[in-house]
Parts: sequence; C-alpha cells; structure tokens
Amino acid sequence: MSTSVLPGTSAETKLETTRDVVVETRNLTKVYRDFWGRQKVRALKALDLSIFRGEIFGLLGPNGSGKTTTMKLLLGLLFPTEGEALVFGKPATDVSKNERIGYLPEETYLYRFLTGEETLDFYGRLFNIPAAVRRQRSAELLELVGLTAARKRQLREYSKGMARRLGLAQALINDPDLILLDEPTTGLDPIGTRAMKDLILQLRDRGKTIIMCSHLLADVQDVCDRVGILYQGELKELGRVDSLLKIRDVTEIRVAGLPPVALEEIKGVVERHNGQVQFIGNPTTTLEELFLNIVAESEAHPGRRVRGGVSDGH
Amino acid sequence: MVIEKVLPPFWTWFVQAALVWVALIVVVCVFGLLLASFVLTVERGFKRAAVSIGRAIVEAFTDLIGAISFRRISGLVFLAIKESIRRRVLAVFALFILLLLFAGWYIDPASTNPSVLYLNFVLSSTGYLIILLALFLSCYSLPNDIRNRTIQTVVTKPVRISEIVFGRVAGFALVGTVLLLLMCGVSYLFVISGLSHTHTLSSENLSAMTDPQGIVEGYTGFTSTVHGHKHRVYVDPDGKARVEMRHGHVHRLEVSGIPPDAKYSLGPAEEALLARVVVYGDLQFRDRDGVDTKEGLNVGDEWTYRGYIQGGSPAAFIWTFAGITPRRFPDGLPLELNLGVFRTHKGNIEKGVLGSIAVRNPRTGLTVETEIFESKEFALNQGVSTNQFFIPRLITKASSVQIIQRKRIGPQGVELDPPSETLDHQLAKKQEFDLFEDLTDNGKLEIWIRCLEPGQYFGAAKPDLYLRARDGYFALNLLKGFLGIWLQMTIVLAYGVMLSTFLSAPVALIATLGVMIGGLFRDFMTQLAFGQTWGGGPFESFYRLITQENVMTQLEPGLGTTLLKMADVGARGFLYAAANVLPPLGEFGWSNFVAYGFDIPGEVVLIRLLQTVAIVLPVCVAGYFFLKAREVAE
Repeated sequence: MSTSVLPGTSAETKLETTRDVVVETRNLTKVYRDFWGRQKVRALKALDLSIFRGEIFGLLGPNGSGKTTTMKLLLGLLFPTEGEALVFGKPATDVSKNERIGYLPEETYLYRFLTGEETLDFYGRLFNIPAAVRRQRSAELLELVGLTAARKRQLREYSKGMARRLGLAQALINDPDLILLDEPTTGLDPIGTRAMKDLILQLRDRGKTIIMCSHLLADVQDVCDRVGILYQGELKELGRVDSLLKIRDVTEIRVAGLPPVALEEIKGVVERHNGQVQFIGNPTTTLEELFLNIVAESEAHPGRRVRGGVSDGH
Repeated sequence: MVIEKVLPPFWTWFVQAALVWVALIVVVCVFGLLLASFVLTVERGFKRAAVSIGRAIVEAFTDLIGAISFRRISGLVFLAIKESIRRRVLAVFALFILLLLFAGWYIDPASTNPSVLYLNFVLSSTGYLIILLALFLSCYSLPNDIRNRTIQTVVTKPVRISEIVFGRVAGFALVGTVLLLLMCGVSYLFVISGLSHTHTLSSENLSAMTDPQGIVEGYTGFTSTVHGHKHRVYVDPDGKARVEMRHGHVHRLEVSGIPPDAKYSLGPAEEALLARVVVYGDLQFRDRDGVDTKEGLNVGDEWTYRGYIQGGSPAAFIWTFAGITPRRFPDGLPLELNLGVFRTHKGNIEKGVLGSIAVRNPRTGLTVETEIFESKEFALNQGVSTNQFFIPRLITKASSVQIIQRKRIGPQGVELDPPSETLDHQLAKKQEFDLFEDLTDNGKLEIWIRCLEPGQYFGAAKPDLYLRARDGYFALNLLKGFLGIWLQMTIVLAYGVMLSTFLSAPVALIATLGVMIGGLFRDFMTQLAFGQTWGGGPFESFYRLITQENVMTQLEPGLGTTLLKMADVGARGFLYAAANVLPPLGEFGWSNFVAYGFDIPGEVVLIRLLQTVAIVLPVCVAGYFFLKAREVAE
C-alpha cells in the first residue's frame, strides 16, 4: 500500500515510477455553461490526481464540491473544459477503456422493465461476453448480492436496497480492474452496508482499484486507503486515511481486565511525567457493530431478547 | 391506376441517384465539418478544436466500421424490444383488430368494386398506425433514457455510440416487422372473408336464346343477388357456361346434366384479388397533322397527367413496347386500356366514343388495325374496370391495313420513319398477319390508339395502356404492399432516433413530423429550386403574397426586383439540398398497386429498398455524430 503523499512531492514522483497509475488527471477542469455558452458554474478546478492499482480511493466533499463531476469526467460522461483525465493511460472519452471499468452510479439507473437476470444479461452483452459466460457470471453475481430468489422479478418490484445491490452486480459483470462507486452504501440497511464494505475490501484484496465517493464519512474511513477532500471544486486534502486522522500529540492505551487500583497508579505515573489524563472509561462500540451483533445473535437464538449485543439468557 | 411518377429503368436510376447521393453526402459532410470547426474554435480555441475534430473523425471510422459488435447491437435490440413491449405496443395490434371489426360493419361489399375498398382500408389503416407507433417509439426512447439517466449505465460500458443508434433503429424496426406481419396476416383473412360470397342459379332463372329459325342457341339468365349484385350467365346447349364479370369478379359455374334442366353450382368469387404483372411501353403522341410530338393536347385540365388527341384526325397515342417475344406472349397480346374522354359535343351520351387499336411494325411501318372499340369513359372515373382487348398471334381480321411512316421534325426538317425508299407496300396486301413475324421488329412493336369521332378527344398517360403478361400471387403482392409500409416505418424510425439524439422528445416528435410532411413537398421544392414554378422562388413568392401580386404578371424592373431574384437564386441550392434530404415517404406507399390489382414490380421494390438504405444509413450516422458530441450526463 502506498504512503500518503501530496502531488508534486519527490516522494510521490518516486511512487509513481514504481507503481501502476490507473487514473491520472492533469489540470482537470469542468465549467458548466448555459445554452448561450455563458459560464454557470465552475464545478471542478484544475484537479491533479493519481490513483494507483490496488487501492481504495475515496472522494469526499459536501454537496456541489465536484465529486460526482470528477467521477463523470473519469467515465467520459462529461467532457473536460480544460486539462485531461487518463484512465489506464487512455483519454477518459475513449470507449475502449470501459472494457476494464465497472460503474455503480449514485442512483440505480437501471431499466425497470427488465428482470434482475435480464439486466445482468443485457449489460453482459454490452461487454461482448459470450452467452455461456454471461449466464455463469450472472448466477454468481446474483448469489453474491443475495438476489438469486428475485432474479425473475422486474426491477420495478425491487426495493431500493435490492436495486442498489443489483446495481453493484452489473458493475462487476465484466470482472473489472477499476470500479467506480458513487455513494455505494446509499439506500442499504446496516447489514447491506457492512456487506458492501466487506465486498469493497475483498475486491481490493483481489487487486482491483476502487474509487468511491460518499457523504457517509464513517464508510469512507472504514474502507478507504486514501482520500481526497474536495470543496467548491478544489482539492483541499489528499493522503492516507490513517495518516490524516492521526492525532500526534495524544496517546491512547487500551487495556483489558485492569482492576480500579491499577487505574489510580497509572494516573500517578501520567502526572509524574507531566502528562494530562483526558479520559478514562470504557470505550463504546459503534452503533453499526451493536446492530450487527443484535441481528447475528437474534438469528442464532430466535425468540430470545438481546441486550447490548449479548443474549440475556431468558 | 394513376402512376404520376414513372421510375426510369433500374440502372439509369441507380447511376443518377448514386451521383446525387454522393454529392449530397459530400456537401453535408463539408457543411457539418465547417459548423463543428466554427463552434469548437469559439469554445476551445483553434488548436484544441483541430485535435478534437481529428480525433472525432478517426473515432468515427472505428465506431462506425471497425469496432461494431453484433452481440452488443443484439443487446440493444433486445432492450428496444423489451421497452416496446413495456410501452404496450401490442395495443396497436389490438386497435387494428378493433378497426377491422368496425370496418366489417361499414365497408359495403355491395359497392361497385369492394376489393379496392377493403384493400385500401387495411393498407392505409396499417400505414397510419405503424407510422404513428414508429414516431412515438423513436422520438421518446433516447430522451427518456437521458432523462432517467439509464443511458449512463449503458455508455459507461464499451458500447459504441453508433451501436446505440443502430440498436435502437433495428430494435424498433424488428418490433414493427412483427406487428406488420401480424397485421398483414389478419388483413389477408379480413379481405378474403369480406369478399367471400357465392350465388345460386337454377333452371328457372334461365331462358332460351334462339336464332331467327327458332333453334335454341343457348340459355341466359341471372344468378341470385348477393352483396348487392347478380351476374348474367350464358349456358351453351352442350353445358359450356360463361359468367359475366360484375363488381370486379366472376364465379366459376359447374353444370351437371343437360341444360336447361341441369344442376348449376357457382363457385367462390374469382379475379377480385389480382396481381397483374404488366408491361408498360413508352408513350409518344401524334398530332392531328400526323407529326410526332412529346406531349398531347391540354383540354383545360389543371391536372396535366393525361395528354389528349383529337378525334377524326391522324392524331394517335403511340406506345412502343420492347421485349415482345413468342416465349413471353405465346398466344398473343392481352391488352388493357384506360382512356380519358373529352367531349366537345354531347353526341350519343349513352354510347362511348369510338376508337381504334392498331399494331405497327416500327421497322417496316406495316400497321394493322385490329379492333374498333367503344371507350368506357365513365368506368375510368370510377376506377372500376378497364377496356380489355386481346390481339391474337395470328391476325385474320383487320379493319384496316396500311404502311404508315412516322413524321418527326428534326434539325434537317421533316424526317420520315421508315424512309420512303425502303417502304414495301406489298406487305399491306397480305390477308393474315403473324404478330411476331410481321408486326414485331427485334421484340419491338407499336400499339396505336386513335379516336375515330371528330370533335371528341381521347386522353392518356403512359401507364394507361399495358400488356398483361401474367398474374402474380395476390398474397405475395399484399406482402409487398406491407413491405412499402415497412420501408416508410424504417425511415421514420431513423429520423426519429436521429433527431432525438439532440432534441427533447416532444420537439423531436414535431421535427420528425415536419420531416415527413416536408417530404410530401419534395417535388415542389425541387421545382422551386430549378425555377420551374410560376411566381418565382420563395422570396419572390413571399413578396407577391404580401403585395397580392398575380403570379403571372412580371414584377416591375428595379433594384427591389433584382434583389428578390438574387435572393431566390441563393435559396435554390438550399432548396435543392433540403428537397434531397427530406424523405419521399409518399413514394413508398403501394396501396394503389395492391388495391387495383397490379403486381408491384420487383424493380420498384429494389429501387425503394436501396433508397431506404441510402436514407437510413446517413441519417443514423448523423445521429451518431449528434449523440457523440453530446454530454449525456449533463
């Protein structure tokens, strides 16, 4: 995994020569204009970015910061006003690059009159995949996203979460090397969200490159190796997640099974070294962890009441 | 049947059409390139514009020729079919069935020619329904995809824009094809069942025909009345029977026993649904002085389709036929003739005007008048039937035999054909004439029609006289009629998809409708472009319109008039190009051929097929460029 670097540093230059660059943007700028050619909004300003093979890259930013515009420029859905975007070394408008790309859009833009199976078959055909391979991959992907039972139903009958999962399946139909996920966990319940995040990590482990943008910072934090933070079309921060989030002048020690007496001794040690105790107490789990534990426990022991993720035994 | 626009022979047409097509493609390409260069230069600067255009041209070759994938197109075709089904296109078929049910009540089988009514109805209603369907499907599909953003999941796959355009057109065309085939089958059954009837005949309906000596020559009478008509029947004493044609059909009559006390059994209607394979000749006129002219007289009709010849004079219509061989016509020439009659005096209004038919050898000038006939002038107007004649192979009866030289006014004065020194007057002294040996020269012969009554006029156009070579299969001809609708549908689909690549759905719909309607005025626009209309070009006409100036008067000379005429000259090129870009949809409608029982010639089908390809391909390519230049995610 790469170390956090900012563009233009010597460390980055060294990295770029040693690792495969999958996506590269140079001075990428997008200006939206009206019918008469007058500038409406400058959505993206001179973005310079390199994304490497095998990493999960997160694009963060508030609404209108240029995340989706960047995605669409990389996909060739929009044309750059200035600069260029290269994907696998080809211009983003080159159709042939799509052979190696999977894309999950922000909303599930699928044909509601097709069934789940037909949808995957249709997108498989667009990748020129032979029928036998299409059938096999469709079955595997439907199994992967848990839609095998609903494969014959039209998408108009799907819930938002089901449609989202099918959207992910269509993005993977060609076994892509680069996967672009626009708000991948939107519309998913906590179980689906966790499954999606696990899947993203699995894909990364299989050597895929993933670019995702999301409003849900916790999701980004959980899965992304590197993030770029956009604000009003400008890249404000770029680097490894763990490095960016590290608070360097605070030390955290987690100890299990410590008696209260030992706590007092530790406080004393800290004071002797002119340190300042900011917090001593029990750490909390995340709500997501709690929810998933309850669901898992409920499935293991139906009928029992579950407290704090642990069955009360009644 | 009226054929206002006669197509030239295939190769003549092909060479001419190919040249115009190539020229038009070049003009459109150059115009498109200039326009794109201008817009991109303004937007991105000269250098980037040049790079973009260069890249677009290279990519166009790849996308349109090199990288097309049948599997991807089949996927898009599948999508278009599913979309059509979702949009309940089958409702169109249900609507068609409903229309037929109502038509079954309202079409009168007792009319003078019910097959024309039935066939015109099924073909025109199918045409309207299918064209409307094509219009809506093609104009709403892509804009809906762009609005719903479903296109974004498609174009992010390795799909060529060309495949999206071709896939849509092909998918909708396939849906239309299935619908048309269903409609064709149902129409066939509807027409057959609507016209199906028979009559009864018994010995009480027959009365004897005797000669002056009282010897029975045969029996005659009428069948029962069904569908508002009855047929006169003639039965010979030996049981041979003949049924007269009424309402465009006859019945076969079986006689078992000895007339009149025999059993009579009439079969179903025959010859109501025909596909006559006809051979047309080239028409020339001969004026009252016996000199060849290109056009006939104008008797005051605004519609100048037919030219007229004066009766009781040497004036004649001369049709020249080629390829007349004993193999094609072993028994003789079956001839059918439609004539317009213009009377300058009433005469005997209950009788037709007399005319004559003669056959002439173009090399020897030997002219044998085989028939004097009474024109069916009213039949023509009703489109009911034609004058039918048969010129036998061995002509033994002739009302007149002579050697006639044709006179033409050439650069050296009057030219005679054949020249006087080559005339063989002995030929005219024969009593019997062989059609092929005496009257045909290398497969060529002339049929002369003359009006015999002074003061009356006959009118005709080229398609008014033809040789009935054989009869084709009606079902096949009906299928060809539906093929015409299919061609129209495909053109509409191509234009609809192309316009919807850059216009919103309702605007694309109106634009496609505009293209279709504009196509109806294509000939007029061409005439305007060549300055063949009264009242000048568009600018001069507009000036005349607002100043209420008569189209026949000359405009006052001056600067204004000069400017108007110059503007018209400038508009001519544009009009000519526009006239060629607009599809001549009306020319693809063959319902008259089918309804009036004429086989649609294979050459016409081939020409229209090629024309459709020549229209659909560049229109789809234009759609490719429009969609390629568009940011689908904006």
